[in-house]
Amino acid sequence: MLNFDWLSGISQETAKNIFLGLFVLIGFLVMLIPNDYAYEGVKKSDRHWYNNLKLWSLGSLAILFVIYYIF
Amino acid sequence: MLAGIDYFIVIAYIIGMLLLGLYFKRFVSTSEDYFLAGRSLPFWAIGMSIVVSDIGAIDFVGISGQAYRYGVSVGNFDWIGSVPAMLLAAFIFIPYFWRGGMYTIPEYLGRRYNPTVRTIASVTWILFFALDLGVLFWASAVLLNVLLGWAIWTSIITTATVVGLYTYFGGITAVIMTDVVQMIIMFVGGLALVYLSLDAVGGWDALVYKVTNMGPEYRSHFDIIQPSDSSSPFPWTGILFGLTFVMSNAYMIGNQSIIQRTLTAKNEWHAKASMIFASALKMFIPILVLFPGLIAVAIIPGLEDGDQALPSMIKEILPPGLVGLMFAAFFAALMSSVDSLLNSTATLFTKDIYQPYIKKDANDKHYLMVGRITTLVLLIIGVISSPISAEYPGMYVAIQTFMSYFQGPLFAILLLGIFWKRTTQWGGLSALIFGIGFAIYLNVTKEQHFTIEDPFLYISWWSFVFAFILNVTVSLLTKPHDKERLEGLVFSSKIMTNTDK
Repeated sequence: MLNFDWLSGISQETAKNIFLGLFVLIGFLVMLIPNDYAYEGVKKSDRHWYNNLKLWSLGSLAILFVIYYIF
Repeated sequence: MLAGIDYFIVIAYIIGMLLLGLYFKRFVSTSEDYFLAGRSLPFWAIGMSIVVSDIGAIDFVGISGQAYRYGVSVGNFDWIGSVPAMLLAAFIFIPYFWRGGMYTIPEYLGRRYNPTVRTIASVTWILFFALDLGVLFWASAVLLNVLLGWAIWTSIITTATVVGLYTYFGGITAVIMTDVVQMIIMFVGGLALVYLSLDAVGGWDALVYKVTNMGPEYRSHFDIIQPSDSSSPFPWTGILFGLTFVMSNAYMIGNQSIIQRTLTAKNEWHAKASMIFASALKMFIPILVLFPGLIAVAIIPGLEDGDQALPSMIKEILPPGLVGLMFAAFFAALMSSVDSLLNSTATLFTKDIYQPYIKKDANDKHYLMVGRITTLVLLIIGVISSPISAEYPGMYVAIQTFMSYFQGPLFAILLLGIFWKRTTQWGGLSALIFGIGFAIYLNVTKEQHFTIEDPFLYISWWSFVFAFILNVTVSLLTKPHDKERLEGLVFSSKIMTNTDK
């Protein structure tokens, strides 16, 4: 059990899909974060799409997704 | 191996770092300036510092060597083994630490659980950092001796003097701002090597074709997901459970040298942004340290020792001038690791040990002086103790293994501490102590329990599970904390909705 033998039936392809699914799930959770919280510390008048940390996070996750999709 | 221009670049780099670091002395007048840069730094500097301090000179060679042996799956550590954990840290943990005005992670554990948990966590980190310092000095000096031909003590004394001076006077501001330059140098040197190596091998497609046709052991060199029955240390099950769910979180959320940087941010947005920016930069690290090893498989096949891949590539590929830049990058990696260890250990000692146990109500100048003296003492201990590594060649690995015992239990108490208000001081304390004990037990008996080469990922996962269950069980059997005591320490949806407008 400690060696995860019970997961040995899962193919590499399926495992890759699990990883990709995890990135999508994290992306979904990031989108649930309220905008005010993502902007906390920035004055209301200075809030723009480019300093929305949710978009930054989704950008990071998108790069990660592409890396795992390619390899 | 080095031409005149290369020596010039390396020496100019070292002098430049010293002058730049000393410039920041003028910004330090309180202990908050020294340990938290007066909470004034921008996200981009902190983000770059996080990335560069995470990679040492030994990692450059070690990761290339692993990539030579195992292929791109080594990149998991900087990709899935960093990005999700950094986002979790940015959005959940860092706002609590930053708003609480904390200096150290053990300080959070002390407020959430009890002072004993704080002390155990702090002493463990101090021991790890202090031991690591000497080993790091020696291992890096040996590396520079092989690569540059520099005498071992020349490397140690040069690094110790330069880093010691700017860290002693400039505190974390000097550490972070020199890291910014060090990161740029690392990226330029590393990318130059990768670009020229790829060009030499005929491009990416040619590389893939050559490597995958070199024999059965190279067919999965471009598969990031390794089967669960792989004999390499990176089966996908270990990567998912041990690395993604436990080790990366413990490292990005529980590591003082990482989190302390984010606490220097000028406001909460900059604190969160620094970690997210670092997560984007982090994804480029495998290009710098992994790809040279991978390309070496095609250019220099049949190396007996994978760790020779990077030095051999530098020798084969880089022209004079760029060789110097690459060695400046080695120094940058070494210096950024040493300055992080010094400043973080000084913070842990001053804030978690000296202030609560030795001298409680001293004035701020006193704690500033203690921080500086601790930095100096650590540096001297690091230099004097460094030759011990020569007597015990497995010491570097042993120290990293020692730290992996700590990761699972640490993350279990951090996770439950922030997400579950029912967790009690006794739950946290027992989970930390017995969790570490369980990890040690698994490591000692690993040949009976595990089938893969080096099961540190599995040990992290199972020690996390053990500590998690123990924490929950003991917490349910003991008296819960008062609501007031948990104020600002346990996650609540209010933190996301009641933000300052």
